[in-house]
Amino acid sequence: MKTNDSGSGDVRLTGISKTYGAFTAVHPLDLTVPQGSFFALLGASGCGKTTTLRMIAGLEEPSSGTVHLGDQDVTALPPYKRPVNTVFQSYALFPHLDIFENVAFGLRRRGIKSVKKQVEDMLELVQLGEQARKKPHQLSGGQQQRVAVARALINHPKVLLLDEPLGALDLKLRRQMQLELKRIQTEVGITFVHVTHDQEEAMTMADTVAVMNGGRVEQLGSPADLYENPHTTFVANFLGTSNLIEAEVDSRSGDDIVLKAGGGKLVLPEARCSAPTTTGGKVLVGVRPEKITLTHADDAGEIPEGRNRITGKIADSSFIGVSTQYVIDSSVCPDFEVYAQNIDRDARLVPGADVVLHWSPGHTFGLDAAQDIDAGIQEEAAV
Amino acid sequence: MPFVNWLKRHFVVIAGLLTLAYLLLPNIVVTVFSFNKPKGRFNYEWQQFSTDAWKDPCGVAGLCGSLSLSLQIAVWATLGATLLGTMIAFALVRYRFRARGAVNSLIFLPMAMPEVVMAASLLTLFLNLGAQLGFWTILIAHIMFCLSFVVTAVKARVMSMDPRLEQAAQDLYAGPAQTFLRVTLPIAAPGIAAGALLAFALSFDDFIITNFNAGSTVTFPMFVWGSAQRGTPVQINVIGTTMFLVAVLLVLTSMIISSRRTRQKA
Repeated sequence: MKTNDSGSGDVRLTGISKTYGAFTAVHPLDLTVPQGSFFALLGASGCGKTTTLRMIAGLEEPSSGTVHLGDQDVTALPPYKRPVNTVFQSYALFPHLDIFENVAFGLRRRGIKSVKKQVEDMLELVQLGEQARKKPHQLSGGQQQRVAVARALINHPKVLLLDEPLGALDLKLRRQMQLELKRIQTEVGITFVHVTHDQEEAMTMADTVAVMNGGRVEQLGSPADLYENPHTTFVANFLGTSNLIEAEVDSRSGDDIVLKAGGGKLVLPEARCSAPTTTGGKVLVGVRPEKITLTHADDAGEIPEGRNRITGKIADSSFIGVSTQYVIDSSVCPDFEVYAQNIDRDARLVPGADVVLHWSPGHTFGLDAAQDIDAGIQEEAAV
Repeated sequence: MPFVNWLKRHFVVIAGLLTLAYLLLPNIVVTVFSFNKPKGRFNYEWQQFSTDAWKDPCGVAGLCGSLSLSLQIAVWATLGATLLGTMIAFALVRYRFRARGAVNSLIFLPMAMPEVVMAASLLTLFLNLGAQLGFWTILIAHIMFCLSFVVTAVKARVMSMDPRLEQAAQDLYAGPAQTFLRVTLPIAAPGIAAGALLAFALSFDDFIITNFNAGSTVTFPMFVWGSAQRGTPVQINVIGTTMFLVAVLLVLTSMIISSRRTRQKA
């Protein structure tokens, strides 16, 4: 399979925005998606990610800014003239056409006469060769989803846009389709732009993730980069879980910032702080729950020097197989979360026990304290 | 009490059969009396079996002329009302325009208006305009009152249509005309067909509005009404039975086609 040869397949959004009356769905935004990459737009519903996608497809007219595909400015082109195809959220398969004709639709509209071979190959790629003469409603959700992908991919678009394509599937099928989509993307080498609200999905599939919130891109980077080094409280809370503590800048030593929090001191490498730091100013200190080690207060002397420490009492613990999740009532925060791998379990670590939490300063990150500390915390249901 | 138990168990079936009989009894009477050989001019009492009327359905002066006129008017009225009604339905569902809400309610007023009042008002209108009563005034009136029904039928269908289907078509290189022909129209077709059938049926047997605005033209319902005063020819029953059979045949054909299609696909 080959992609279109003319020019490169970069998607370049420049100052693009969308307003509906007084409501701004997308604030002016610059974004470049490199050719051949798997790019995810991640955010909660209403964050502007779908609107951004639809502006690339041409289904939504931007209020300002331009859309470039490679060297071509497509801002003024209607959707049917853009070398871009979309996999819609509800699949939007044509109910009056069978699977074969659904997949052949794009080819036929471009005046290609002999479509049989191509359609059959494409149905083979998505493992639906047997279903060619069925109507969409006769297929299962997962099969319909694959038809939607096949119908878009057969046109060899420069960019494939996926609008929450796995949202309607159950968890197990979703995991399976994530791998499937990733496999297809590697196989065909087309740029994929994937919209999702599922942070796990975005991290599993994408090379680059743009986290969107309130019509803006909060942060852009590789999944590991976003996770290890979030720049905003929204990113810190939306991707996984973070413990955020309010702290005051005390002093500096070399490349590190020394902070005061709840009577103790914490060390934060300056490079991992995205906020301005002036002595006496406030910052939010963050650390991921799995980076923290729990030690019983009796053994506090064995903790190596140079680690960030906080004391507290275990408020709650839940055993979930591979790990145990603790909630610690600490001096700095009443519900500090700690995930401990179940390797050698200390029998003394039960609710009520006094503990010391400690972690490497290199795992600490610093955020601007002027933000909402709870931004991006999701309700439990959103998995 | 075995009988009561039996009744309880089969109540739904019995009620269904009785309702069906209630619905079809008039049709059966029409059919049976099309084989009657009445004494005198009225076909109200069973005399003896005969196929005379079936052999010579046009044997009554003016009958087949009125029938052909009614069919012509029904076909044109259906075409006109379906075309206009479909466009109105799409406009009402798809576009936000000034007075859309008003149009939405106004379009249904003709259905609520008593037909006889509408008929008299139309006549006043036509007379004041100096229009020659006849084929054209009937046709204009029929398109008018069929319109509301077509709009209702098509609107329901268009409203339930996922707008993303058309977006998907556009996304797959179909321009506006192609999108309409390949996606919108085929999906809306059942609603449009329902509207058209309704329009045809309404136009074909309309009497009140037609009678007021026909001038000296005589449609089939007017012919039946007129002859009923002087005597009812058996041929009327023949025409009625034929229409009924054609309808049944159409329904059966569509059922067979659709069931064969699903069996093929499954």
